[in-house]
Amino acid sequence: MINKAILQLKNLSISFDTPNGEVEAVRNVNLSLQKGEILAIVGESGCGKTVLSQSVLKLLPKTSNIKNGQIFVEGEDITHYKEKKMRNLRGSVLSMVFQDPMTTLNPTIPIGKQITESILKHKRVSREEAKERAIEMLELVGIDDPIYRFNLQPHFFSGGMRQRCVLAIALASDPKILFADEPTTSLDVTVQAKILDLLLDIRDKTGISIVFISHDLGVVARIADKVAVMYAGKVVEMGTAEEVFYDPCHPYTWGLLGALPSSTIEGENLKSIQGMPPVMLDPPPGDAFAVRNEYALKIDYAEMPPMFQITQTHFAATWLLDERAPIVKPPISLKRR
Amino acid sequence: MQRKTRVIQKILKKVAGFVIAMVCLSIIVFYFSRLAPGDPLQSFYGDAVESMSTQELLAAKERLGLDDPIHIQYAKWISNTFHGDFGMSLKYKIPAMEVVSPLIGNTLILGGISYLVVFFLAIFLAICCALNEDSLFDRIICKVGTAAYYIPTFWLGVVLVLVFSINLNWLPSSGAYDFGKSGDVLNRLQHLVLPLAVMVLSHLWYYAYMFRNKLLDEFRRDYILLAKTKGLAKVEIIFKHCLRNIAPTIISIMAISTTHIVSGTYIAEAVFNYPGIGALSVESAKYHDYNLLLLLVLITGALVIISSMIAQSINEVIDPRMKELEAVTWRKRTKTSS
Ligand SMILES: Nc1ncnc2c1ncn2[C@@H]1O[C@H](COP(=O)(O)OP(=O)(O)O)[C@@H](O)[C@H]1O
Ligand SMILES: [Mg+2]
Repeated sequence: MINKAILQLKNLSISFDTPNGEVEAVRNVNLSLQKGEILAIVGESGCGKTVLSQSVLKLLPKTSNIKNGQIFVEGEDITHYKEKKMRNLRGSVLSMVFQDPMTTLNPTIPIGKQITESILKHKRVSREEAKERAIEMLELVGIDDPIYRFNLQPHFFSGGMRQRCVLAIALASDPKILFADEPTTSLDVTVQAKILDLLLDIRDKTGISIVFISHDLGVVARIADKVAVMYAGKVVEMGTAEEVFYDPCHPYTWGLLGALPSSTIEGENLKSIQGMPPVMLDPPPGDAFAVRNEYALKIDYAEMPPMFQITQTHFAATWLLDERAPIVKPPISLKRR
Repeated sequence: MQRKTRVIQKILKKVAGFVIAMVCLSIIVFYFSRLAPGDPLQSFYGDAVESMSTQELLAAKERLGLDDPIHIQYAKWISNTFHGDFGMSLKYKIPAMEVVSPLIGNTLILGGISYLVVFFLAIFLAICCALNEDSLFDRIICKVGTAAYYIPTFWLGVVLVLVFSINLNWLPSSGAYDFGKSGDVLNRLQHLVLPLAVMVLSHLWYYAYMFRNKLLDEFRRDYILLAKTKGLAKVEIIFKHCLRNIAPTIISIMAISTTHIVSGTYIAEAVFNYPGIGALSVESAKYHDYNLLLLLVLITGALVIISSMIAQSINEVIDPRMKELEAVTWRKRTKTSS
């Protein structure tokens, strides 16, 4: 099981040195991703999703450091890989698409060249072969008339098409793991759905593993096999999509589900969660969510809850799961279709 | 076919723009130079002016064409310029063009070479610093560069003369060439070394630092992250992405800076007694030598306008966004016609 995981994070903590002190952006995260699997990471903005994903590719600024934990990619410990070794992994094993397709493409370079650049970096092919491959990639991501569009600069493309181009770039060198950091957040709803379907389609065609990051559970429900819910730098609930959506155990997950439109959920509509995520300069000693949690127990303020195992695959970090805790029925879950 | 006519149209537009700009410039300078207090007759006749009678003064003014209303004076002047006649220099009492032409080459050589050296070195330094941002190398270069930039040009020139001409006797301290050796390239180069050093040292860091920061700003843009995820190294990203994207900025700055550097030659010319048009401009303003002043301003103005036009054309080729509107309308046109 462990050996088969293509990506595994063990007890990973990432912090930033800032003038105001140490920001603990990611705290003791354990995750694993199997081949061909789509793992969604959800949570409000600021809870450490981007930092977590960029730490795997080592794209974070110099002020960041891995405080503890390990990162395994295809069974190999890359935690202390230097820049040069990372460069070989980026593009060919690990790849990433970002939130805003309007700014993630170089505005002055034709799309085609931005794709071949990645191919030529990792594969021993001629320019013609690289171009052929780039055109195939454009076809794969659903760009019509790719031979003509190959030579166009990004400003000739709409937002949705640009995100497709970014995907083509990210996939050009056959990576094993794709990190998609809120890839649909800045797009229209209809375009969003198409990009999600495209990601599913690409996973089925290429067997790539995807870490899909979003703050929107609705989007995640459509695509994820496994879901990890993050809060204040920690994974607070993790399980198969089925488990997290139909049998959520953490009050924070209830809150996120409650913010969805009522047509998609069962139970009372909680509306959005009151308050704001904590600043990670000086995280509270207990459960960071306690102050916003109407089901909070006394112990939540004093002691960090451990990960309680609910099923083989379902875990949640809340004291409500302790045998001494009062029984609280989940007020909310996704409607079964 | 269509493309060719568009190019011709564009060139015509630029030429028209140039002529209009030059005419405006000449009008402004023409009027303003006459607003400055002082007597142009003084520079023509010297102290003799004081002993002239009123009648003689009027006659003198008439001879020099200074008695007409100012717009008539301007009309006469501009119609003459279209025949290549820029009027007499009041001070030198020969055609202004003849005063300028033997000196302009010297200034263009000094200004042109220092311009190229400044930008070549500035871009080179900027890349080196950006690649090693915040390293010891970068910090030392930044400190030294800033210090060098703040050394007063005049003082720097004098120190260089003291060290390299007087103490070491390696290089000549003044002039553009030794007497009778105006065609000797080596001799000219020797005379150029010190003025060039002053020019380059006093301008270099201003541009190098600006380009360094532009490169680093560019390096913090979103698209750099995507370039990094492709596995590109910093050097590759700087050369293939950042430099290309800030090229229009660099070129625009280069175009604007022609004045900065050309006016810089004035000080170098003064310190090293280098015969150029810099010192001449100051002199012509001082002596109310209107025709000479106008000619010099027009030459400098033409230089600036032409270089900015060239820069604009180059930028359009590099950065297609600058032509975006045109491209879109053009595509629409071809669509409707097909
Ligand atoms: N470069 C940085 N320096 C200091 N703190 C940072 C930096 N980048 C992110 N953080 C902090 O890390 C936390 C997590 O941020 P992020 O991963 O971007 O959140 P998300 O992607 O979930 O919205 C935030 O509290 C943010 O302030
Ligand atoms: Mg984020």
